[in-house]
Amino acid sequence: MIEYDELENKMVLKLVYYGPALSGKTTNLLRLYDLLDSEGKGDLTVLDTKDDRTIFFDLLPFFLVAPSGLKIKLKVFTVPGQVKHDATRKAVLQRADGVVFIADSQLSEETNNFESFRNLEENLRFVGLDIEKVPLVVQFNKRDLNNIVAEADIKKTWGPTGVPVFMASAVEGGGIVETFEKLAGLTYSSIDKRYHLSEKHGLDENTFVRTLTGRTRLHGQ
Amino acid sequence: MDNEYIIGSDVKLKDVLREADAMQLLQNAAKAGASYGAVEDAEGEILCHFGPSPDGHVFNIKKPFYLEGEIAGYVVIKGDGANGPVLKAVGEAAYDALNIVLKSNHRSLLATETHRTVINRSYEELLQTCNMLKESEIKYRDLAENLERQVSRRNEELKQAHAKLLHQEKIVSIGQLAAGIAHEINNPLGYILSNINTLKQYSAKMKEMLAFFRDTLSKTEVSDADREAANRKWLQYKLDHVLSDVDDLIRESIGGAERVKKIVSDLRGFSHIDETHKADADINAEIDRTLSVLAHEIPGDAGVVRDYRPLPPFTCDPAGICQAFFNIILNSLQTGKEGLKLVIETRCVDDHIIILFSDNGPGIPEKIINRIFDPFFTTKEVGKGTGMGLNVTHEIVTSYGGTVNVESRAGEGATFIITLPVNTKQKPQIKKEE
Ligand SMILES: Nc1ncnc2c1ncn2[C@@H]1O[C@H](COP(=O)(O)OP(=O)(O)O)[C@@H](O)[C@H]1O
Ligand SMILES: [Mg+2]
Repeated sequence: MIEYDELENKMVLKLVYYGPALSGKTTNLLRLYDLLDSEGKGDLTVLDTKDDRTIFFDLLPFFLVAPSGLKIKLKVFTVPGQVKHDATRKAVLQRADGVVFIADSQLSEETNNFESFRNLEENLRFVGLDIEKVPLVVQFNKRDLNNIVAEADIKKTWGPTGVPVFMASAVEGGGIVETFEKLAGLTYSSIDKRYHLSEKHGLDENTFVRTLTGRTRLHGQ
Repeated sequence: MDNEYIIGSDVKLKDVLREADAMQLLQNAAKAGASYGAVEDAEGEILCHFGPSPDGHVFNIKKPFYLEGEIAGYVVIKGDGANGPVLKAVGEAAYDALNIVLKSNHRSLLATETHRTVINRSYEELLQTCNMLKESEIKYRDLAENLERQVSRRNEELKQAHAKLLHQEKIVSIGQLAAGIAHEINNPLGYILSNINTLKQYSAKMKEMLAFFRDTLSKTEVSDADREAANRKWLQYKLDHVLSDVDDLIRESIGGAERVKKIVSDLRGFSHIDETHKADADINAEIDRTLSVLAHEIPGDAGVVRDYRPLPPFTCDPAGICQAFFNIILNSLQTGKEGLKLVIETRCVDDHIIILFSDNGPGIPEKIINRIFDPFFTTKEVGKGTGMGLNVTHEIVTSYGGTVNVESRAGEGATFIITLPVNTKQKPQIKKEE
């Protein structure tokens, strides 16, 4: 959690889209921005300054108010995937409440996925987050391409970990909202545990997710 | 909190909207005839405004603007009904302009804050790494210093142990010497003592005899009976034998005493008790001295051949150099070889004195030959050898810039070769107990 201001009765949450370069993190956010039609959806800020690549990331903020009056801001970030931007990744990852790992389905990208995931583990540890506890969703993007890892193989690899995995095609839009919904749901649960969103603020998971997406959930919990 | 900016920290309107910028936007509305214009934040607090804000204005717009999906504030424009449409258009324009300003300021704020964070973070990481390095460096330096200290302590201990061993070795050789020399001295002392005892008895008889003669001769007339009595006495005291024995006893005793005197003087020479400092030594003479104190160790069937050539004087501590020879010679004698033959040759070649000690003993097996100069190395049974003898020799010889080597094969005797450079008067002398 970025901050919780009791005086202002406001909490600011952070979700991070992590993954190797060009795996489709920004596309995910762009698609989300297009696909979601919620009241609290803010402007999408794409920070892609050509001359200073160290601050290459995107931000899609959401804002909602719980029945109790608790203001919740949810900021969804992407990180720069290039290896050299590790400092930015660490900075963005700091105090994250949930992480989506966007993997590139192409067979040629397996090593990059692996390296990037290891980097995620490392950086989570660096910023003091426990990978076992941080809400985590994996998305295998680019399912529409050829020469991709078979879904069965993915399931076999990730099944035992218990981490939810989604197949997506960011360009076409498939799987994008589902991924986001899942992460939002998981994040809600972990925040609820500590801040009693439902008990104290009258905000249940479904409402939370639906308010963010502006639609009825595609997948149940 | 100031320097700990978390990416995503919530942005306040004041952070992204400068009063001057907002004012400029409102100015257009004023020009268009609005009587009041203001930018308020979400709580309704006025950020900037112009004109009084009377109620009851016919035209009155209040439009919220958003930041990150959340209402950040309002643009408020008030005016006469007459100007309505114009004001509405101006209000929209101001609103749009405000949004653009907000967005771009928000972006650049995000960019600069992130940049700062990343740079700071990298800097902090650097600092952290640097500190870690420093710490580990300190640790290593400590460790190194500690190590150094430990090493030098160990060295000190070793040195002391070594010095102790050298001392022991000396004591051992002195002990070995003492045993032989005690015997050597005891022998003559024994018969000198017994001779003196005999001489004491002899002298008692002679005293009686002489007293009898003096008494008898003091009479006016010496009778035949007196002569008879004197004769009897002479025979009774076996004075013929006594007189003939006395000379032998005295000669023997003097000889014995002289041997003792010689032994003592040899010892003195060997130990160089009188010369504690460096002296110009004749190496040949020093070898002789060494041999003479070892004389009793040399078995009857053994032969020592001295093949000396004249040598230039060698500046050294003679006691030390004798010790070096002593250890080599003693080893040969200790091989227990029957019919041992030890040949000692000295030569001077160029600026070097060369001394060879060759024996026909058992020789030294190849697999130990490299170790015999090592401290503690011995093949002798416990108590017999300290393993320090050749090490001491090596130390002494190298302290004069010389060398000691061995040539030997199992079963073929051993030759120890010492070379000493003649012109190294100022070579520091080490290892001797100061
Ligand atoms: N003349 C020699 N002939 C055969 N072996 C020798 C001779 N001199 C020395 N050695 C070998 O070298 C070893 C080391 O000698 P040294 O240092 O004097 O120690 P130590 O006499 O106490 O054993 C001896 O134990 C012996 O094995
Ligand atoms: Mg010896």
